[in-house]
Amino acid sequence: MKNIAVIFGGRSAEHEVSIITAHLPIIQALKALGGYTIWPVYISKKGDWYCQSEFEEMEHFQQPDFEKQLTKFKKINLGLNNGLQIIWSGVLQKSIKIDIVFPAMHGTNGEDGSLMGLLQMANVPFVGCDMAASAIAMDKAMTKEVLSNQGFLVAPYVWFLQSEWQKDKQKILERIKKLNFPLFVKPVHLGSSIGISKVKNEQELLNAIEVALHYDNKVLVEEGIGDLIEVTLPIMGNENPETAEIERPLNKTEFFDFQDKYLSSGKTQGVNAQYSQIPAEIDVSLSKQVKELGLGAYKAIGCSGIARIDFLINSKLEKIYINEINTLPGSLYHHNWRKAGISAVVLVSKLIAFAEQRFEAQQSLNYLFNSGILKKFKGAKTQ
Amino acid sequence: MKRFISRYSLSFPKNLVYMFQVSEYRLGDFFAWYWRVLDFSKVAKRKSLVKTSKAMLILIGAWALLLAMHLMVLVLVFSRDSFNLPFLVIGLLLVPLFFPYLFSLLVLVINIFQLPLEYRIIAKAKKKLSKHKAYRIAIAGSYGKTTMREIIRTVVSEGKKVAAAPANYNTPLGISKFILGLKGDEEVLIFEMGEYYPGDIAKLCHLTNPDAGVITGVNEAHLVKFKSLERTTKTIFELADWLKDKALYVNVEDKNVLNFLDKQINQKYLAYNRNGLADLKVSNASTSLKGTSFDLLPPGDLSGDTVSLESNLLGLHQIGPLLVSIDIALKLGLSVAEIKKGIAKTKPFEHRMQPTIDSSGVVTIDDSYNGNPTGVKAAIDFLASIKGHQRFYVTPGLVEMGTRSAEIHQEIGRLLSEAGIEKVILIRNSVTPDIYAGLQKAGYTGDVIWFDDALKAYAALPQITVQGDLVILQNDWPDQYI
Repeated sequence: MKNIAVIFGGRSAEHEVSIITAHLPIIQALKALGGYTIWPVYISKKGDWYCQSEFEEMEHFQQPDFEKQLTKFKKINLGLNNGLQIIWSGVLQKSIKIDIVFPAMHGTNGEDGSLMGLLQMANVPFVGCDMAASAIAMDKAMTKEVLSNQGFLVAPYVWFLQSEWQKDKQKILERIKKLNFPLFVKPVHLGSSIGISKVKNEQELLNAIEVALHYDNKVLVEEGIGDLIEVTLPIMGNENPETAEIERPLNKTEFFDFQDKYLSSGKTQGVNAQYSQIPAEIDVSLSKQVKELGLGAYKAIGCSGIARIDFLINSKLEKIYINEINTLPGSLYHHNWRKAGISAVVLVSKLIAFAEQRFEAQQSLNYLFNSGILKKFKGAKTQ
Repeated sequence: MKRFISRYSLSFPKNLVYMFQVSEYRLGDFFAWYWRVLDFSKVAKRKSLVKTSKAMLILIGAWALLLAMHLMVLVLVFSRDSFNLPFLVIGLLLVPLFFPYLFSLLVLVINIFQLPLEYRIIAKAKKKLSKHKAYRIAIAGSYGKTTMREIIRTVVSEGKKVAAAPANYNTPLGISKFILGLKGDEEVLIFEMGEYYPGDIAKLCHLTNPDAGVITGVNEAHLVKFKSLERTTKTIFELADWLKDKALYVNVEDKNVLNFLDKQINQKYLAYNRNGLADLKVSNASTSLKGTSFDLLPPGDLSGDTVSLESNLLGLHQIGPLLVSIDIALKLGLSVAEIKKGIAKTKPFEHRMQPTIDSSGVVTIDDSYNGNPTGVKAAIDFLASIKGHQRFYVTPGLVEMGTRSAEIHQEIGRLLSEAGIEKVILIRNSVTPDIYAGLQKAGYTGDVIWFDDALKAYAALPQITVQGDLVILQNDWPDQYI
């Protein structure tokens, strides 16, 4: 039996969503798949790490006092020497070596590449995008920079840092004036539509920027797309990625807010399940383009394992804009894969295979080079 | 070791009472379970103790007995001159071993005291029923009784006031309780007759005095108790002996029934199967996930037009029982229009070929109360007729098949292979290896997936199915068989 660690929770606004993703489908599918000993690693909102068999059941986290119960568990330490070890220290120290990690974290301090960096240092295979792709995709402004530089269409945008805003608001507002209302104001690092506003005039804009700066020190302002159809496309794979179905969220309100995205979704499907049209009923040629653009953007950002690409389509002009890339789709978007004929068990086992494949490829690279520079080094004053 | 230690669990007495309850307080069934079980602390997985006054009385008795036994050990230890540790240890070790036997003696005593009480209830019910004017229909058979009862009730209710005893009210005491609850204005009464031992059906006939009877079929259900199929058949046909010249409907799709009838030259009966019943002739029958439909040419003295009928029940094997309900309804004077409306209302009864579709487009047919070989064959026949779906067959196998178990389970494997079922999910236990052997022998080319217990398999299903899949949950084992 291989040891697989599923890491979830964390210091993130999407802490709860992460708990759902970890259980539905990841842990449940791993159980159905068999062949793995599951080590559920939970990071509390405070940032404490725990690993207990009780965490295998989602019901554990649905108890009203589960956070209080954490005090009875031993916190874990991590060993990073040539592989990842989970260590319960104490008089009777116990440790186990992890063969593969399945990150199930959303948002900051997890999905943003930080966890992937740690796992890379530990030299352990892990599921999903690597550190670089995760970091780029987490920053909405950076994503647009990378994509537009490679010729992908993105909605016109402006980004700025909190320090710049405090120093010279006027200069930034001048830049924003080149964009047409309505505008969207977004904290660049947050997911699940948190802190995002749609504004129709300058006063609303100023308020929205204040709200966004409350969540993040970097803000993105972008033009709204007219005659809008929003669609999203889950993709998985390394060298030859494959697509699931194009999905159109059917939000009743004008805006796709947190409520729609998570809280009103179905009980058994994890997050993001209901109020969606799968496959999206859009023109055949449009859907073909969406799939091609999606696969292109996946590679442009350097994704591997799994990701989900969001698109904005101007249905009259038939223009397709890439909006965001999500390197760990909520609940892996398994409801969508299931409609594409891929069960959660197959999805999870494929993702593990992709992780192992990427790890093997990295192991074959030569990271070392004998330069002899240390021998030649004569002291501080070399010149 | 675990078996021994789990007897010290605080839930041990309660679990024993639970097991007595689900074994209907029969000592034989209880000990069959008791000598097999490995962990006494985890017993009630599917249900839990129903707090009837009998069960609570026995539970209190169990605790009193257990305390008394411990007290006795202590008294014996201290009554000696000096404290005797080995004696105490041996005493404490022996108490949980002897407790279940002394405890079942207690149950036996309560059972004996209950007898006159039960006899009074039954006598009272018989007296009440003898004054009741309703037309009485009795249903006997190893399988299909509940479905038959529900079909007749649904169809006849279109024109008559019908009352039917619930499925678990199929013993003299149960049926008596049902009779005592009747209002008196019912026009039709339906009784299911449970057969556990020879003579059971005759006893129930004596109590209910039926005007018509239905024999749904005979198979290996309860074979452990009956020892031979012949004894089962004879017991079920006690209904025929009792009815004499009154209407008796017999399912001739059942080969065990046919074999028996061959030897009974003087037996009068109305034969039914999926093709017809006496004058009722079936044509254009078809079945799908949506239901079953067929055309019927009604008897000549009614209008001559063909009647098209549609039922929500799944499978062509349901047509026979539907015909029985039609014939009874016609005899009771219902119109063709009423009957057609009634047939359209027939639908799968809970956990019997009951389909649902979830938001991911997976169809699940719950057939978990179907635990007999004939029903299994009907379900596989139905699956075989459904095309264009990946089919999952989930089963722990069948219980109480006695010496024929291996043969029956291998046959299930062969049928599954023949039907080309894509995925077979088996629960590890004493009988599923025979299903596997049957699959192997028949050259099965699909996938077999194993699970340690049924609940794990049910939890895993959403993770292994995709849109358009068809899942059938065939049978579920009650706790006393695990």
